[in-house]
Amino acid sequence: MSHFKENLLRYQNLTRNIRDFFYARNVIEVVTPSLLSTPTTDVYIDSIEVSVNQALSKSSKFYLHTSPELEMKRMLSRGSGDIFQICQVFRDNEHGRINSNEFTMLEFYRVGFGMHQLIDEIKDLLVILGKDDPIKQMSYSEAFFEFANIDILNSSIEDLKKILNAHSLNSDYEWIEDMQTVLFVHLVEPKLKEYPVFFIYDFPKQQAALAQIDGLIAHRFEMYINGIEIANGYQEIQTSKEYRDRFETELGKRKFLSKSIGCVDEDFLNDLKDGLPACSGVAIGIDRLFNSLSL
Amino acid sequence: MNYSTSQFKNGLKLMLDGNPCSIVNNEIVKPGKGQAFNRVKFKDLITGKTLEKTFKSGESLEAADVMELEMQYLYTDGEKWYFMDPNSFDQFDLSKESMGSALNYLVEQDTCIVTLWNNNPISVSPPNHVTLEVIDTDPGLKGDTAGTGGKPATLNTGVVVQVPLFVAIGDRIKVDTRTNEYTGRA
Repeated sequence: MSHFKENLLRYQNLTRNIRDFFYARNVIEVVTPSLLSTPTTDVYIDSIEVSVNQALSKSSKFYLHTSPELEMKRMLSRGSGDIFQICQVFRDNEHGRINSNEFTMLEFYRVGFGMHQLIDEIKDLLVILGKDDPIKQMSYSEAFFEFANIDILNSSIEDLKKILNAHSLNSDYEWIEDMQTVLFVHLVEPKLKEYPVFFIYDFPKQQAALAQIDGLIAHRFEMYINGIEIANGYQEIQTSKEYRDRFETELGKRKFLSKSIGCVDEDFLNDLKDGLPACSGVAIGIDRLFNSLSL
Repeated sequence: MNYSTSQFKNGLKLMLDGNPCSIVNNEIVKPGKGQAFNRVKFKDLITGKTLEKTFKSGESLEAADVMELEMQYLYTDGEKWYFMDPNSFDQFDLSKESMGSALNYLVEQDTCIVTLWNNNPISVSPPNHVTLEVIDTDPGLKGDTAGTGGKPATLNTGVVVQVPLFVAIGDRIKVDTRTNEYTGRA
Protein backbone atom coordinates (compact mmCIF):
# COMPACT_ATOMS: atom_id res chain seq x y z
CA MET A 1 0.00 0.00 0.00
CA SER A 2 1.31 3.48 -0.79
CA HIS A 3 2.52 5.66 2.05
CA PHE A 4 -0.13 8.21 1.11
CA LYS A 5 -2.98 5.72 1.39
CA GLU A 6 -1.55 4.34 4.63
CA ASN A 7 -1.66 7.85 6.06
CA LEU A 8 -5.25 8.35 4.94
CA LEU A 9 -6.24 5.16 6.71
CA ARG A 10 -4.31 6.09 9.85
CA TYR A 11 -6.06 9.45 9.91
CA GLN A 12 -9.41 7.75 9.42
CA ASN A 13 -8.62 5.48 12.35
CA LEU A 14 -7.79 8.46 14.52
CA THR A 15 -11.07 10.27 13.86
CA ARG A 16 -13.02 7.00 14.07
CA ASN A 17 -11.49 6.26 17.49
CA ILE A 18 -12.25 9.78 18.70
CA ARG A 19 -15.86 9.47 17.54
CA ASP A 20 -16.28 6.02 19.10
CA PHE A 21 -14.85 7.34 22.37
CA PHE A 22 -17.45 10.09 22.56
CA TYR A 23 -20.38 8.02 21.24
CA ALA A 24 -19.68 5.47 23.99
CA ARG A 25 -19.91 8.28 26.55
CA ASN A 26 -23.14 9.67 25.06
CA VAL A 27 -21.53 12.87 23.87
CA ILE A 28 -23.44 14.11 20.82
CA GLU A 29 -21.58 14.96 17.63
CA VAL A 30 -22.66 18.34 16.27
CA VAL A 31 -21.97 20.59 13.29
CA THR A 32 -22.01 24.36 13.64
CA PRO A 33 -21.67 27.12 10.99
CA SER A 34 -18.22 28.11 9.78
CA LEU A 35 -19.43 31.42 8.35
CA LEU A 36 -20.07 33.88 11.16
CA SER A 37 -21.35 37.43 11.08
CA THR A 38 -18.79 38.73 13.59
CA PRO A 39 -15.02 38.19 13.76
CA THR A 40 -13.43 36.79 16.89
CA THR A 41 -12.67 39.27 19.67
CA ASP A 42 -9.56 37.32 20.72
CA VAL A 43 -6.66 39.78 21.00
CA TYR A 44 -4.12 37.62 19.19
CA ILE A 45 -6.32 35.63 16.82
CA ASP A 46 -7.42 37.13 13.51
CA SER A 47 -10.49 36.00 11.60
CA ILE A 48 -10.38 35.58 7.84
CA GLU A 49 -12.95 37.83 6.17
CA VAL A 50 -14.94 36.60 3.18
CA SER A 51 -17.34 38.47 0.90
CA VAL A 52 -20.34 36.59 -0.37
CA ASN A 53 -23.26 37.14 -2.76
CA GLN A 54 -21.57 39.86 -4.78
CA ALA A 55 -23.14 38.64 -8.05
CA LEU A 56 -26.54 38.75 -6.42
CA SER A 57 -26.05 42.44 -5.59
CA LYS A 58 -26.61 41.50 -1.97
CA SER A 59 -22.97 41.57 -1.02
CA SER A 60 -22.18 40.95 2.61
CA LYS A 61 -19.20 40.07 4.73
CA PHE A 62 -18.71 36.96 6.78
CA TYR A 63 -15.87 35.67 8.92
CA LEU A 64 -14.62 32.09 8.90
CA HIS A 65 -14.79 30.70 12.41
CA THR A 66 -11.47 30.58 14.27
CA SER A 67 -12.96 27.96 16.61
CA PRO A 68 -16.50 26.56 16.97
CA GLU A 69 -16.56 27.69 20.61
CA LEU A 70 -19.32 30.28 20.65
CA GLU A 71 -21.64 28.38 18.31
CA MET A 72 -21.27 25.26 20.46
CA LYS A 73 -21.92 27.30 23.59
CA ARG A 74 -25.17 28.51 22.03
CA MET A 75 -26.17 24.84 21.75
CA LEU A 76 -25.17 24.21 25.37
CA SER A 77 -27.28 27.17 26.48
CA ARG A 78 -30.23 25.64 24.65
CA GLY A 79 -29.88 22.34 26.52
CA SER A 80 -27.77 20.21 24.17
CA GLY A 81 -25.93 18.55 27.03
CA ASP A 82 -22.50 17.05 26.27
CA ILE A 83 -21.37 17.78 22.69
CA PHE A 84 -18.32 17.38 20.46
CA GLN A 85 -17.30 18.47 17.00
CA ILE A 86 -14.43 17.81 14.59
CA CYS A 87 -14.12 20.65 12.10
CA GLN A 88 -11.81 22.84 10.04
CA VAL A 89 -11.03 26.24 11.56
CA PHE A 90 -9.35 29.24 9.96
CA ARG A 91 -6.97 31.86 11.28
CA ASP A 92 -5.32 34.73 9.50
CA ASN A 93 -1.65 35.58 10.08
CA GLU A 94 -0.76 32.12 11.34
CA HIS A 95 1.61 30.37 9.02
CA GLY A 96 4.80 28.51 9.79
CA ARG A 97 6.35 25.15 10.49
CA ILE A 98 3.63 24.17 12.95
CA ASN A 99 1.00 26.79 12.19
CA SER A 100 -1.40 26.94 9.33
CA ASN A 101 -4.20 29.23 8.19
CA GLU A 102 -6.51 26.22 8.21
CA PHE A 103 -6.38 23.32 10.62
CA THR A 104 -8.59 20.63 12.12
CA MET A 105 -9.97 21.03 15.60
CA LEU A 106 -11.68 18.67 17.98
CA GLU A 107 -13.75 20.69 20.40
CA PHE A 108 -15.88 19.21 23.17
CA TYR A 109 -17.89 20.31 26.17
CA ARG A 110 -18.78 18.26 29.22
CA VAL A 111 -21.65 19.49 31.38
CA GLY A 112 -21.02 19.36 35.13
CA PHE A 113 -17.28 18.72 34.67
CA GLY A 114 -14.64 20.77 36.49
CA MET A 115 -11.29 21.47 34.82
CA HIS A 116 -9.52 18.48 36.40
CA GLN A 117 -12.31 16.08 35.42
CA LEU A 118 -11.92 17.25 31.83
CA ILE A 119 -8.13 16.78 31.99
CA ASP A 120 -8.74 13.23 33.24
CA GLU A 121 -11.06 12.56 30.32
CA ILE A 122 -8.41 13.75 27.85
CA LYS A 123 -5.99 11.30 29.47
CA ASP A 124 -8.52 8.51 28.85
CA LEU A 125 -8.85 9.65 25.24
CA LEU A 126 -5.06 9.58 24.75
CA VAL A 127 -4.95 5.98 25.96
CA ILE A 128 -7.69 5.01 23.47
CA LEU A 129 -5.66 6.69 20.73
CA GLY A 130 -2.62 4.61 21.64
CA LYS A 131 -0.69 7.33 23.45
CA ASP A 132 0.12 5.67 26.75
CA ASP A 133 3.29 7.59 27.63
CA PRO A 134 3.79 8.83 31.19
CA ILE A 135 1.92 12.07 31.83
CA LYS A 136 3.28 15.03 33.76
CA GLN A 137 1.03 17.66 35.27
CA MET A 138 1.90 20.99 36.89
CA SER A 139 0.24 24.31 37.58
CA TYR A 140 1.49 27.30 35.55
CA SER A 141 3.02 28.71 38.69
CA GLU A 142 4.76 25.42 39.62
CA ALA A 143 6.16 25.14 36.10
CA PHE A 144 7.65 28.64 36.36
CA PHE A 145 9.21 27.80 39.73
CA GLU A 146 10.50 24.46 38.46
CA PHE A 147 11.93 25.51 35.10
CA ALA A 148 12.76 29.20 35.58
CA ASN A 149 12.79 29.86 39.33
CA ILE A 150 10.28 32.68 38.90
CA ASP A 151 7.28 33.42 41.14
CA ILE A 152 5.08 34.26 38.17
CA LEU A 153 1.79 34.83 40.04
CA ASN A 154 3.30 37.37 42.43
CA SER A 155 5.48 39.23 39.93
CA SER A 156 4.42 42.74 38.94
CA ILE A 157 4.99 44.32 35.53
CA GLU A 158 8.13 45.97 36.97
CA ASP A 159 9.43 42.63 38.32
CA LEU A 160 8.89 40.97 34.95
CA LYS A 161 10.56 43.87 33.12
CA LYS A 162 13.67 43.29 35.22
CA ILE A 163 13.62 39.56 34.54
CA LEU A 164 13.20 40.16 30.80
CA ASN A 165 16.09 42.62 30.81
CA ALA A 166 18.25 40.15 32.74
CA HIS A 167 17.65 37.65 29.93
CA SER A 168 18.37 40.45 27.42
CA LEU A 169 14.85 40.10 26.04
CA ASN A 170 12.69 42.96 24.85
CA SER A 171 10.64 44.23 27.80
CA ASP A 172 8.53 46.62 25.79
CA TYR A 173 5.11 45.04 26.31
CA GLU A 174 1.81 46.71 27.08
CA TRP A 175 0.30 44.08 29.31
CA ILE A 176 1.57 41.72 31.96
CA GLU A 177 0.13 38.68 30.18
CA ASP A 178 2.39 39.33 27.19
CA MET A 179 5.42 39.39 29.49
CA GLN A 180 4.28 36.16 31.13
CA THR A 181 3.88 34.63 27.69
CA VAL A 182 7.29 35.65 26.34
CA LEU A 183 8.95 34.25 29.48
CA PHE A 184 6.92 31.07 29.10
CA VAL A 185 7.94 30.72 25.45
CA HIS A 186 11.59 31.50 26.19
CA LEU A 187 12.17 29.69 29.47
CA VAL A 188 9.47 27.08 30.08
CA GLU A 189 8.27 25.79 26.73
CA PRO A 190 11.72 24.56 25.54
CA LYS A 191 11.91 22.40 28.71
CA LEU A 192 8.56 20.78 27.94
CA LYS A 193 10.11 19.08 24.90
CA GLU A 194 11.42 16.36 27.20
CA TYR A 195 7.93 15.34 28.27
CA PRO A 196 5.73 13.13 26.05
CA VAL A 197 2.57 14.61 27.59
CA PHE A 198 2.49 17.65 29.86
CA PHE A 199 -0.63 19.31 31.27
CA ILE A 200 -0.21 22.82 32.57
CA TYR A 201 -3.17 24.29 34.45
CA ASP A 202 -4.33 27.27 36.50
CA PHE A 203 -3.03 30.04 34.28
CA PRO A 204 -2.57 33.55 35.72
CA LYS A 205 -5.91 35.38 35.79
CA GLN A 206 -4.67 37.85 33.16
CA GLN A 207 -4.60 34.92 30.71
CA ALA A 208 -8.06 33.68 31.68
CA ALA A 209 -9.53 34.06 28.18
CA LEU A 210 -13.03 32.60 28.81
CA ALA A 211 -12.12 30.54 31.90
CA GLN A 212 -13.41 31.02 35.43
CA ILE A 213 -11.17 33.16 37.62
CA ASP A 214 -10.39 32.19 41.20
CA GLY A 215 -8.09 34.63 43.01
CA LEU A 216 -4.82 35.00 41.13
CA ILE A 217 -5.51 32.12 38.77
CA ALA A 218 -7.99 31.06 36.10
CA HIS A 219 -9.17 27.49 35.58
CA ARG A 220 -7.58 27.25 32.18
CA PHE A 221 -5.24 24.48 31.03
CA GLU A 222 -3.12 23.49 28.09
CA MET A 223 -1.72 20.16 26.98
CA TYR A 224 1.74 19.91 25.43
CA ILE A 225 3.08 16.88 23.59
CA ASN A 226 6.88 17.00 23.38
CA GLY A 227 6.81 20.75 23.84
CA ILE A 228 4.14 21.45 21.24
CA GLU A 229 0.86 23.00 22.33
CA ILE A 230 -1.94 20.60 21.42
CA ALA A 231 -4.93 21.56 23.57
CA ASN A 232 -6.40 24.54 25.39
CA GLY A 233 -9.35 24.22 27.74
CA TYR A 234 -11.40 26.06 30.34
CA GLN A 235 -13.76 25.58 33.16
CA GLU A 236 -16.19 27.91 31.45
CA ILE A 237 -17.62 31.19 32.65
CA GLN A 238 -21.43 31.02 32.61
CA THR A 239 -23.22 34.35 32.57
CA SER A 240 -23.77 36.62 29.59
CA LYS A 241 -22.46 39.52 31.69
CA GLU A 242 -19.10 37.78 32.19
CA TYR A 243 -18.89 37.04 28.47
CA ARG A 244 -19.70 40.65 27.59
CA ASP A 245 -17.01 41.92 29.97
CA ARG A 246 -14.36 39.59 28.56
CA PHE A 247 -15.28 40.41 24.95
CA GLU A 248 -15.22 44.14 25.60
CA THR A 249 -11.83 43.95 27.32
CA GLU A 250 -10.45 42.01 24.36
CA LEU A 251 -11.90 44.44 21.83
CA GLY A 252 -10.36 47.32 23.78
CA LYS A 253 -6.95 45.68 23.52
CA ARG A 254 -7.35 45.01 19.81
CA LYS A 255 -8.26 48.65 19.36
CA PHE A 256 -5.19 49.72 21.33
CA LEU A 257 -3.01 47.54 19.07
CA SER A 258 -4.68 49.09 15.98
CA LYS A 259 -6.00 45.68 14.92
CA SER A 260 -9.24 45.25 13.00
CA ILE A 261 -12.17 45.06 15.38
CA GLY A 262 -15.67 43.73 15.06
CA CYS A 263 -18.26 44.01 17.74
CA VAL A 264 -19.60 41.94 20.58
CA ASP A 265 -21.77 39.09 19.24
CA GLU A 266 -25.13 40.22 20.59
CA ASP A 267 -26.93 37.15 19.24
CA PHE A 268 -24.61 34.97 21.27
CA LEU A 269 -25.14 37.01 24.45
CA ASN A 270 -28.88 36.94 23.84
CA ASP A 271 -28.85 33.13 23.62
CA LEU A 272 -26.94 33.10 26.87
CA LYS A 273 -29.37 35.28 28.79
CA ASP A 274 -30.21 32.37 31.08
CA GLY A 275 -26.55 31.43 31.29
CA LEU A 276 -24.44 28.48 30.24
CA PRO A 277 -24.73 25.29 32.28
CA ALA A 278 -21.71 24.61 34.52
CA CYS A 279 -19.27 22.90 32.15
CA SER A 280 -15.72 22.57 30.94
CA GLY A 281 -14.60 22.53 27.34
CA VAL A 282 -11.44 22.05 25.34
CA ALA A 283 -10.07 22.50 21.83
CA ILE A 284 -7.54 19.96 20.56
CA GLY A 285 -5.48 20.45 17.41
CA ILE A 286 -6.01 17.26 15.46
CA ASP A 287 -3.24 17.76 12.89
CA ARG A 288 -0.61 18.22 15.58
CA LEU A 289 -2.06 15.34 17.58
CA PHE A 290 -1.95 13.10 14.49
CA ASN A 291 1.70 14.01 13.89
CA SER A 292 2.61 13.33 17.50
CA LEU A 293 0.95 9.90 17.37
CA SER A 294 2.98 8.89 14.34
CA LEU A 295 6.30 9.54 16.10
CA MET B 1 20.35 48.83 8.42
CA ASN B 2 17.87 46.79 10.43
CA TYR B 3 16.03 43.55 9.81
CA SER B 4 12.62 42.88 11.32
CA THR B 5 11.57 39.40 12.51
CA SER B 6 9.50 38.93 9.34
CA GLN B 7 12.75 39.11 7.31
CA PHE B 8 14.63 36.62 9.51
CA LYS B 9 15.98 33.61 7.64
CA ASN B 10 18.76 31.10 8.06
CA GLY B 11 22.19 32.54 7.40
CA LEU B 12 21.16 36.17 7.99
CA LYS B 13 23.93 38.01 9.89
CA LEU B 14 22.79 40.24 12.74
CA MET B 15 24.24 42.08 15.72
CA LEU B 16 23.30 40.55 19.06
CA ASP B 17 24.61 41.94 22.34
CA GLY B 18 27.52 43.52 20.47
CA ASN B 19 28.64 40.44 18.59
CA PRO B 20 28.00 39.49 14.95
CA CYS B 21 25.80 36.38 14.79
CA SER B 22 24.35 34.20 12.09
CA ILE B 23 20.80 32.80 12.23
CA VAL B 24 20.90 29.00 12.40
CA ASN B 25 17.20 28.42 12.92
CA ASN B 26 14.19 30.74 13.03
CA GLU B 27 10.95 29.35 14.41
CA ILE B 28 7.69 31.24 14.60
CA VAL B 29 5.98 30.51 17.90
CA LYS B 30 2.31 31.39 17.99
CA PRO B 31 0.76 30.35 21.28
CA GLY B 32 -2.90 29.52 20.69
CA LYS B 33 -4.06 32.54 22.65
CA GLY B 34 -0.92 34.62 23.00
CA GLN B 35 0.99 36.96 20.78
CA ALA B 36 3.43 35.65 18.18
CA PHE B 37 7.16 35.37 18.77
CA ASN B 38 10.22 34.28 16.86
CA ARG B 39 12.40 31.77 18.68
CA VAL B 40 15.78 32.15 17.02
CA LYS B 41 18.94 30.06 17.27
CA PHE B 42 22.10 32.04 16.56
CA LYS B 43 25.71 31.17 16.11
CA ASP B 44 28.00 33.79 17.57
CA LEU B 45 30.53 34.30 14.75
CA ILE B 46 33.29 35.31 17.15
CA THR B 47 32.96 32.73 19.93
CA GLY B 48 31.35 30.01 17.77
CA LYS B 49 28.79 29.41 20.52
CA THR B 50 25.13 28.77 19.77
CA LEU B 51 22.48 30.71 21.66
CA GLU B 52 18.70 30.88 21.59
CA LYS B 53 16.64 34.04 21.94
CA THR B 54 12.98 34.97 21.72
CA PHE B 55 11.79 38.07 19.90
CA LYS B 56 8.46 39.81 19.78
CA SER B 57 7.09 39.65 16.24
CA GLY B 58 7.93 42.93 14.55
CA GLU B 59 11.04 43.57 16.64
CA SER B 60 14.12 44.41 14.61
CA LEU B 61 17.88 43.90 14.90
CA GLU B 62 20.82 45.69 13.36
CA ALA B 63 22.46 43.96 10.41
CA ALA B 64 26.04 42.80 10.93
CA ASP B 65 28.51 43.84 8.24
CA VAL B 66 29.78 40.33 7.65
CA MET B 67 31.31 38.98 4.45
CA GLU B 68 32.53 35.52 3.65
CA LEU B 69 35.36 35.59 1.12
CA GLU B 70 37.29 32.84 -0.56
CA MET B 71 40.96 33.40 0.26
CA GLN B 72 44.29 31.71 -0.12
CA TYR B 73 46.21 30.66 3.00
CA LEU B 74 49.75 32.02 2.61
CA TYR B 75 51.83 31.14 5.68
CA THR B 76 52.18 31.50 9.43
CA ASP B 77 54.91 33.07 11.49
CA GLY B 78 53.77 31.10 14.52
CA GLU B 79 51.82 34.03 15.99
CA LYS B 80 49.61 34.97 13.10
CA TRP B 81 48.18 33.22 10.11
CA TYR B 82 48.20 35.15 6.84
CA PHE B 83 45.59 35.01 4.07
CA MET B 84 45.15 36.75 0.74
CA ASP B 85 42.04 37.74 -1.18
CA PRO B 86 42.96 36.60 -4.73
CA ASN B 87 40.75 39.28 -6.30
CA SER B 88 42.08 42.34 -4.50
CA PHE B 89 45.42 40.89 -3.34
CA ASP B 90 44.55 42.33 0.10
CA GLN B 91 46.19 40.44 2.92
CA PHE B 92 44.54 39.59 6.23
CA ASP B 93 45.89 37.97 9.37
CA LEU B 94 44.24 35.93 12.11
CA SER B 95 45.38 35.00 15.62
CA LYS B 96 45.70 31.36 16.69
CA GLU B 97 42.51 31.77 18.74
CA SER B 98 40.50 32.96 15.71
CA MET B 99 41.90 30.15 13.58
CA GLY B 100 40.07 27.58 15.73
CA SER B 101 40.16 24.06 14.32
CA ALA B 102 41.09 25.36 10.84
CA LEU B 103 44.69 25.17 12.11
CA ASN B 104 44.49 21.41 11.79
CA TYR B 105 43.66 21.33 8.12
CA LEU B 106 45.27 24.20 6.25
CA VAL B 107 48.49 23.89 4.32
CA GLU B 108 50.07 26.76 2.41
CA GLN B 109 48.32 27.73 -0.84
CA ASP B 110 45.03 26.09 0.26
CA THR B 111 41.81 27.93 -0.48
CA CYS B 112 39.40 28.52 2.40
CA ILE B 113 36.57 30.82 3.49
CA VAL B 114 37.52 33.77 5.68
CA THR B 115 34.75 35.63 7.50
CA LEU B 116 35.20 39.39 7.77
CA TRP B 117 33.30 41.61 10.20
CA ASN B 118 33.62 45.32 9.48
CA ASN B 119 36.45 44.26 7.15
CA ASN B 120 38.36 42.50 9.96
CA PRO B 121 38.84 38.74 9.78
CA ILE B 122 37.10 36.91 12.64
CA SER B 123 37.14 33.27 11.59
CA VAL B 124 38.17 30.86 8.88
CA SER B 125 36.51 27.69 7.59
CA PRO B 126 38.59 25.07 5.82
CA PRO B 127 37.03 23.19 2.88
CA ASN B 128 34.86 20.23 4.00
CA HIS B 129 37.41 17.82 2.55
CA VAL B 130 41.17 18.32 2.48
CA THR B 131 44.06 16.17 1.28
CA LEU B 132 46.92 15.84 3.77
CA GLU B 133 50.11 13.79 4.04
CA VAL B 134 50.84 11.19 6.70
CA ILE B 135 54.12 12.07 8.41
CA ASP B 136 54.01 9.54 11.21
CA THR B 137 52.15 6.31 11.95
CA ASP B 138 52.98 2.78 13.14
CA PRO B 139 53.66 0.28 10.38
CA GLY B 140 50.44 -1.57 9.56
CA LEU B 141 49.93 -5.30 9.41
CA LYS B 142 50.85 -6.75 6.05
CA GLY B 143 47.94 -7.85 3.94
CA ASP B 144 45.36 -5.84 5.85
CA THR B 145 43.56 -3.98 3.10
CA ALA B 146 40.02 -4.23 4.38
CA GLY B 147 40.53 -1.55 6.98
CA THR B 148 39.03 -3.63 9.75
CA GLY B 149 41.20 -2.09 12.42
CA GLY B 150 42.52 1.43 12.91
CA LYS B 151 45.50 3.32 14.19
CA PRO B 152 46.40 6.97 14.81
CA ALA B 153 48.33 8.86 12.14
CA THR B 154 49.93 12.29 12.44
CA LEU B 155 49.43 14.45 9.34
CA ASN B 156 51.58 17.25 7.94
CA THR B 157 49.48 19.90 9.73
CA GLY B 158 50.09 18.21 13.07
CA VAL B 159 46.56 16.87 13.44
CA VAL B 160 46.06 13.23 14.46
CA VAL B 161 43.43 11.17 12.59
CA GLN B 162 42.37 7.53 12.95
CA VAL B 163 43.34 5.70 9.75
CA PRO B 164 43.06 2.09 8.51
CA LEU B 165 46.04 -0.17 9.22
CA PHE B 166 47.27 -0.20 5.61
CA VAL B 167 48.00 3.54 5.56
CA ALA B 168 51.75 4.24 5.62
CA ILE B 169 54.03 7.22 6.14
CA GLY B 170 54.13 9.36 3.00
CA ASP B 171 50.58 8.45 1.89
CA ARG B 172 48.26 11.27 0.98
CA ILE B 173 44.80 10.87 2.49
CA LYS B 174 41.45 12.68 2.40
CA VAL B 175 40.03 14.01 5.68
CA ASP B 176 36.56 15.37 6.44
CA THR B 177 37.30 18.56 8.38
CA ARG B 178 33.87 18.63 10.04
CA THR B 179 34.32 15.27 11.74
CA ASN B 180 38.13 14.89 11.66
CA GLU B 181 37.62 11.53 9.97
CA TYR B 182 39.65 9.69 7.32
CA THR B 183 37.52 9.30 4.18
CA GLY B 184 39.98 7.62 1.79
CA ARG B 185 43.33 7.68 0.07
CA ALA B 186 43.96 10.60 -2.26
